[in-house]
Amino acid sequence: MFPRELLPIVLILVGLYVVVVGLSFWWARRIKREIKEKEQEIKHRLYEIAILKEIADRTGYSLNIQKILDVIAGSLRQFIEYSAASYMLLEPSKIVFKADLDRSVSPAFIKEIRGRMLGSLEALLGRELADMQIEETLTGAIMLEDMDEPVRSFFNIPLVIGDRLVGVLTVAHTKAGLYNEEEMAILYKIVSQASHAVTSLEDVVKAEQDKITAMLESMVEGVVMTDRDYHIVAVNPAAKAIIGETATGAPTIFDLAEKFKGVFDIKEKLEESIKLDKVLTLDGAAIGGKYYQVLVSPVRSNAGPMKGQTLGGVVIFHDITHEKEAERMRNDFTSMMVHELRSPLGNIKKIGELMRSSKVLEDKQASSEYVDMLYESSSVMLDLVNDLLDVSKLEAGKFEVAKQQENLKELITDRVKFFNTTAQGASISLASFTGEGVPDLVSIDPKRVTQVINNLLSNALNYTPKGGTVTVECFMHKQGVAIDDEAGHLGMPWVNDDPQKTTAALADSVVVAVTDTGEGISPENLEKLWNKFIQFVSSVRKGGDRKGTGLGLVIVKGIVEMHGGTVGVGSKVGVGSTFYFTLPL
Amino acid sequence: MEQIEQYKEIMTEVIAKQSVILGPDMAIMRARKVAEVEVSPEGKVIEIKGNPDQALQKLVDSYVELSGQIVKNALGSIFTKYPSLKPLD
Repeated sequence: MFPRELLPIVLILVGLYVVVVGLSFWWARRIKREIKEKEQEIKHRLYEIAILKEIADRTGYSLNIQKILDVIAGSLRQFIEYSAASYMLLEPSKIVFKADLDRSVSPAFIKEIRGRMLGSLEALLGRELADMQIEETLTGAIMLEDMDEPVRSFFNIPLVIGDRLVGVLTVAHTKAGLYNEEEMAILYKIVSQASHAVTSLEDVVKAEQDKITAMLESMVEGVVMTDRDYHIVAVNPAAKAIIGETATGAPTIFDLAEKFKGVFDIKEKLEESIKLDKVLTLDGAAIGGKYYQVLVSPVRSNAGPMKGQTLGGVVIFHDITHEKEAERMRNDFTSMMVHELRSPLGNIKKIGELMRSSKVLEDKQASSEYVDMLYESSSVMLDLVNDLLDVSKLEAGKFEVAKQQENLKELITDRVKFFNTTAQGASISLASFTGEGVPDLVSIDPKRVTQVINNLLSNALNYTPKGGTVTVECFMHKQGVAIDDEAGHLGMPWVNDDPQKTTAALADSVVVAVTDTGEGISPENLEKLWNKFIQFVSSVRKGGDRKGTGLGLVIVKGIVEMHGGTVGVGSKVGVGSTFYFTLPL
Repeated sequence: MEQIEQYKEIMTEVIAKQSVILGPDMAIMRARKVAEVEVSPEGKVIEIKGNPDQALQKLVDSYVELSGQIVKNALGSIFTKYPSLKPLD
């Protein structure tokens, strides 16, 4: 018999037991749920890590968003259930639509997801895409016409690189209410991380591209690069200047071909270069008044997945207008020197023939005249040859002067005397002035300074018309005062064509100048004076030829500079010229 | 129309636009996570709790958090229809 007084205790114990069991059961269920949630979370996290690793492994440092999407779409079925995993990519001329079918669906289902994806893109872009061509690819299960299962669950993930919408990824199913927010959020996160990686890589690539663009734009040579289909993919400002204005602003291969019309077929040359894998050098293309050396070369990739493949071609324009001009000047100079030598040589030959074939030797007066002519012609030739040798030595840096203490004033007086006969013959007044303080002895090479004065005097007399005046001046220059002012204070004639041009900075020196009242030299000809390849025509030059060899002043400049001095000229057309040089003390 | 009704309307339109962009499941789930609004299963805003400016801001932020600034940019046309409402940050 169970004692009645124990009943409450038993009931309490049973109650406690029930509570403990209930709590244990509740606790166990809670733990189980937490474990399940943890497992789910770990599973999601592992999937996230695995998919990101797979993207990195399979695409590497790739900017190819389609490749990345293929990896994501291809891995989805291990994480989420779907009927179709698809993506749309916006390209300049089309939309790429690719769908992977995990189970058979109807064409209407595909049409519906395609419409929803387009709707998503249109809403994001704020414009219609109905006119765009859609390139469709379906993989996986086959489509069945008789299936009648519409889209009941779906979500879209916009694809953004930088700030640019590039497409949309969509997961769709025929079952309703299939996707929970957590699963969808993980896919958003994965796509976001992949987009972020591509954006970062694009930034790096863009920074590198900017460097290349800056380099290309700063190049003096014109550069045009084409792809394999001869579309121009890069053109620098120098090339744009050569091609000129185009209808669209961006030159095409047709604009380039038009520019080369009548020179050569540039597209054909590009094809040839790419086909033969060789650089073609095309010299002397005259375009727009300039000469270009044109290099046409294939462009090959030498790194990465496209290593060894031809990417296109490049056309480089090297402006050789100056080289062509220099070549022309050299040819003109050679012709001029040949002409200058041929004339006295012809004279010598004629005199020789005359003396050999006639009885001229018996006539003492005539033979004396012929000997004088022989002497004159051979002297002209010798002077020319000596000038050429001097210029050659100057250019080679082998020209030397032998300086010694010499009386410059006497040397000038002697030269004036020597040229006085010529001046009188030409009805030109020849005078000389010497300023105060010019030392008796100056350190010079007397032979070479004589050559300088001879040249300046000879030029002045040659270019001064009848009745004119040639003056030789010699005075001291003090640093800080302009030479023309010093000449002016001494009352000496001086032609200054540019009051802005100052000689005040020149060191203390003796100045020797020759001023004439000749025709003067135009500013453009003044620039050519010291160039051995350029001679200019004078209307008053005597001696039959209106052009000189141009070597004389080149040698004058060389001799003066070897003395540490400076040469200069001031000239006004119709007034005359002053040629001067300084000899430092 | 009362201003609160305007807020309800604009938020309903935001959810509808996001339904086109992200799909209705995701758009409505995100909206229902915003504590300041009560959203029907069809995506209609039934009630706004507290400051409607903040509620709207939080609703838009929940979409931006998911898929970036581009989804906010797509809402421009909706906001131009309600010039009297405070613009978003």
